[in-house]
Amino acid sequence: MRIRIPKDWELPESTVTPESAYRLRDRRSFLKTLGAGAAGALLLRSRAVAAMGGLPAMADPDYPAGSLKVTPYELATSYNNFYEFGTDKGDPVVNANQGWKPEPWTVEIGGLAGNPGKWDVEDLIRKMGGLEERVYRHRCVEAWSMVIPWDGFPLRKLVDFAQPKPEAKYVRMNSFRHVVGDQDAGFGGPYLEGLRLDEARNELAFIATGIYGKPIPNQNGAPLRLVTPWKYGFKGIKSIVRIEFTTEEPVNTWQQLASNEYGFYANVNPNVDHPRWSQASERVIGGGIFSGRQATLMFNGYEKQVAALYRGMDLRTFY
Amino acid sequence: MAWLVKLLRSKLAVWIAIVLPGLYPAWPIWRQNPTVLADPLKYLLHHYGFVACILLAVVLSFTPLRVLFPRSPLALALNRHRRLVGVSAFFYALIHLTCQILHEDGWPTFFTDIRKPFLLVGLLTFIILLVLAVTSFNFMVRWLGGRRWKRLHRLAYLAAALAAYHQAAARKLFPVQVLWIFVPLAALELARVIKERAVRASGT
Repeated sequence: MRIRIPKDWELPESTVTPESAYRLRDRRSFLKTLGAGAAGALLLRSRAVAAMGGLPAMADPDYPAGSLKVTPYELATSYNNFYEFGTDKGDPVVNANQGWKPEPWTVEIGGLAGNPGKWDVEDLIRKMGGLEERVYRHRCVEAWSMVIPWDGFPLRKLVDFAQPKPEAKYVRMNSFRHVVGDQDAGFGGPYLEGLRLDEARNELAFIATGIYGKPIPNQNGAPLRLVTPWKYGFKGIKSIVRIEFTTEEPVNTWQQLASNEYGFYANVNPNVDHPRWSQASERVIGGGIFSGRQATLMFNGYEKQVAALYRGMDLRTFY
Repeated sequence: MAWLVKLLRSKLAVWIAIVLPGLYPAWPIWRQNPTVLADPLKYLLHHYGFVACILLAVVLSFTPLRVLFPRSPLALALNRHRRLVGVSAFFYALIHLTCQILHEDGWPTFFTDIRKPFLLVGLLTFIILLVLAVTSFNFMVRWLGGRRWKRLHRLAYLAAALAAYHQAAARKLFPVQVLWIFVPLAALELARVIKERAVRASGT
């Protein structure tokens, strides 16, 4: 008999996700149910395989979907912050799907890496040895939240693959530089994010290549993005093109734009307010007009897994 | 041109122009626009705040237009509706505030958050608009006396400046629409002040 010891980041079984809201766990059945004609299905299948590195996402039995109410797919894919494609929440779903093709896609590993180089994203994903699905809470710094089933692999695998040198302390990632015509459509440069190396090696840190068992849509950060569920959403850099190991703390994009409001750590913390609004509670996306707010949890509910990373640090100073 | 003047003089036309933006959110909600449905309350909150800002800027542009173009029938037509448009800006601000109270899920969060300058300035703007709306009745003008009433209602300019800050602070990055709304207004006011000074200087 097999005894399953649940991982401590699994979400509690207190509420059950309605099956209708979330059941397309495996891609094959999803493709079958599409029923939009063989040609359409074939087209979709090839795209899906490409974006997932030819590997199906396995819902790891040790990491079940859990019980939080998963945000409806339509909402998670049309309410996005992806400023390269516009500053309104509804902009990316439109603008990221007008000719922008994140394939082929090359990811470069550099800086203090023992194994530097450029990899095609599909080859890189294959090297990570299979995809898994994890359902994480997602808390935006703007005080709203979602629950997303991500498909991907732990960031730690990628870090191990890159073989950072002993003096490396941080990992720095940047997104593509989005140019429309000859105008920079982003922040005057590529979006930049970073983690301390021990944060990057934490078991929660994840690279997503899919959501809801489907290839990740452009507006959600195709073909691969960072997911750090204990941090505010803006840490989850989308459409990564370069990963670098450094000795110095990277100055992430939002910190460059407004360092009094956004820091390097950006850990979800109900006790440290944003200068313009409270972080003590959040609105759940999909809740409707009268849904109210729910309390925001320390480290977004992942205190057990990550609190040790910040022991002895003043989280008011290192926000 | 005559038809435009006629249209702008019509109370009904102005009423329609004022009420339509309030009904507009029914459209994306009926169409099940997923971006709106993700957080419909936030959408309403931003929409009504936006409409209130526009109406405030519009009503404040009436006087400078009349001063700059004293013989234009268009400017005169618009100036018939100052009270209606001004009070409607207050009503949209009231809906906006109601959305904010709902959005904060009740008073405890509302009162903790209101200490933030961004929200405090919004509330201050609302209080000014409330005072101006309450004193907009004819009997209030009589009770206050024309000069005092006029002085009090100059607070509308302060409200516009505060509203511009409040709207700019509502997003993570500076939203360009603030400039679209308030820069033309500021330009009009500046031109008006210059002209009034010139007239006064030549008159005396």
